[in-house]
Amino acid sequence: MSETGSTLPAERRLSLLVTVLAFALPVIFVLVPLAIFLGYSFFSVDQGTIVYGLSLGNYIRFFTDPIFLPVFWNTIVLCVSVAIICILLAYPAAYFLTTLKGRWRYALLMLLLVPLLMSYVIKIYAIRSILGLNGFLNKALVALGILQEPSTLFVFNMNAILLTLTLLLIPFAILPIFLSLERIPQVLLRASDDLGASGLQTFLRITLPLSLPGVASAASFVFVLAIGDFLTPQMVGGISGFTFGRILYSQFGTAYNWPFGAALSVALAVVVIAAILIGERFGRNRGISV
Amino acid sequence: MGLKKLFLRMATIGLGIGLMTSAALAANLRVLAWDGYADADWVKDFTAATGIGVDVVFIGSDDEIWAKIKGSEGQDFDVFAVNTAQLQRYIKADLVSPIDVTKLANQKEVLPRFRDLTAVSGVTKDGKVYGIPFCFDSIGLIYDTDKVKPAPTSMSVLWDPAYKGKVLAYDNGEHNFSFTALTLGYKDPFNLNEEQMAAVKAKLVELKRNVLSFYTTADEAQQIYQNNDVALIWANYGQQQVKALQKIGAHVAYVNPSEGALAWLDNWVISKGVRDNAAAEKWIDFMLSKKVGGELSERTGFGNTVTETGSAGGNDKLVWLNNVEDPLKRSDMWNEVKATP
Repeated sequence: MSETGSTLPAERRLSLLVTVLAFALPVIFVLVPLAIFLGYSFFSVDQGTIVYGLSLGNYIRFFTDPIFLPVFWNTIVLCVSVAIICILLAYPAAYFLTTLKGRWRYALLMLLLVPLLMSYVIKIYAIRSILGLNGFLNKALVALGILQEPSTLFVFNMNAILLTLTLLLIPFAILPIFLSLERIPQVLLRASDDLGASGLQTFLRITLPLSLPGVASAASFVFVLAIGDFLTPQMVGGISGFTFGRILYSQFGTAYNWPFGAALSVALAVVVIAAILIGERFGRNRGISV
Repeated sequence: MGLKKLFLRMATIGLGIGLMTSAALAANLRVLAWDGYADADWVKDFTAATGIGVDVVFIGSDDEIWAKIKGSEGQDFDVFAVNTAQLQRYIKADLVSPIDVTKLANQKEVLPRFRDLTAVSGVTKDGKVYGIPFCFDSIGLIYDTDKVKPAPTSMSVLWDPAYKGKVLAYDNGEHNFSFTALTLGYKDPFNLNEEQMAAVKAKLVELKRNVLSFYTTADEAQQIYQNNDVALIWANYGQQQVKALQKIGAHVAYVNPSEGALAWLDNWVISKGVRDNAAAEKWIDFMLSKKVGGELSERTGFGNTVTETGSAGGNDKLVWLNNVEDPLKRSDMWNEVKATP
């Protein structure tokens, strides 16, 4: 009796501890830092030291200074484009994967995800040397007779950021689309076939609508990852590829203006959260009907 | 970089333990320096020549030096190395002692530009010498000898439309404002007024339109050079960068512009808490010997103040880096330059 009496509270205490830990970790490592960040965005900097007085100055500057909003908008357009291109390329790839049988399907899927194991920086370096004037892409295009002479179209501009981000982020688009395609019950496709629909009709009326949740989450994944990236634009963007991430980054490094950097991050976070909510909304609406 | 830092850490810890054991033995000279400024063989030679033991602690950043010296009010070290831009801060905080230059025999033999220390901006205050220059490098111009003819003499070549899209510049607002100010002929590139700032900014927007990309590390510049058609590089990493490029077979040369090249300059200084002033003077004098100076340049690629090196010819005009009027403003304006379409 006395034994069971002492173990039960111990068990309960353990489960309580686990519960507290489960809540404490995200609170301490996610919510608290975010709150501190939000707090910082209302401070200011004077002569290289942070002034801990609340003001809306940083936000006013963000909305009134002529440099920030245009760059912010261009960056959003860029990242939406990256998301669209990633979807257009990833959808056929994911569709092809689902047509494969048995172990081939997963072997190939793994191969497509292998690039994720490589260092991000090394990938950018490699892509940059491929895109360069003496790089592989130019050499190939000239050798094939497509270009008369090497072109500077592919590196140190917005095109380069677009290309590089697409290449880097495409695995994040393939995976959700593949999962949503795989989840479509085969009986629906067979029923459609039995009722006399053509392959195209079946795709347009069944496969495509049912895979849209995957497309939506793929798009929001890619967009969110792209807009938070400052390294790719820094390394391949050159002089015309100036993005919001680069401005943000400079506030923390050379400028030592953390409060303004925090305010810019808040602006970025609003867009990111909106993107995630939109992705999730689309995902859920269609997902329930499956 | 990470690995190098780790090694530095390990060296520091190792030396720290060494310090603890030797502190009990005798009052050794305590030296705080960057890696490459107090190599083991020099320390051994110094001890053999003078009978003075030396404990060296290596540091990895300007902030670390400040933290160590300020933290102990100068009591923990006898001699340390800082650059001219930093030195004034130490003088103001009363952490360094004036140096009697007459005690340094080798100082009379240094290169002409370093002989009159009152002419070296940043090392003196109120007529007293606080820093003895011993190591420097200029931020000049690297040009491809096959593509740039005739050889350039001024940074203004970076704006030449003939090299549009073939220029590599450095991604740093502070330095870019300074060198452009020099190119525009302003006397003090580190203290610009509103009007000058605006002119420099407009000039930098023009520069941007001629530039292929802005780089941050020497490695990066080298990789871009290899994969693209680059004719001119604004060489933030000076001689090290030139030598690395020449090693991979690039046909490049280096020039300090006639309007003056920005340059950093490291000095030996004696801390306020020095225990044995004569020993500290002997250390500095030893470091100014032709042998150490030559070996320093050979090993690090930096220029030294006693023998001629590739960092600067005898007639090159060097402008020692100094603190700028408002780093935050320069950084903001540099962003504006980059955001201008």
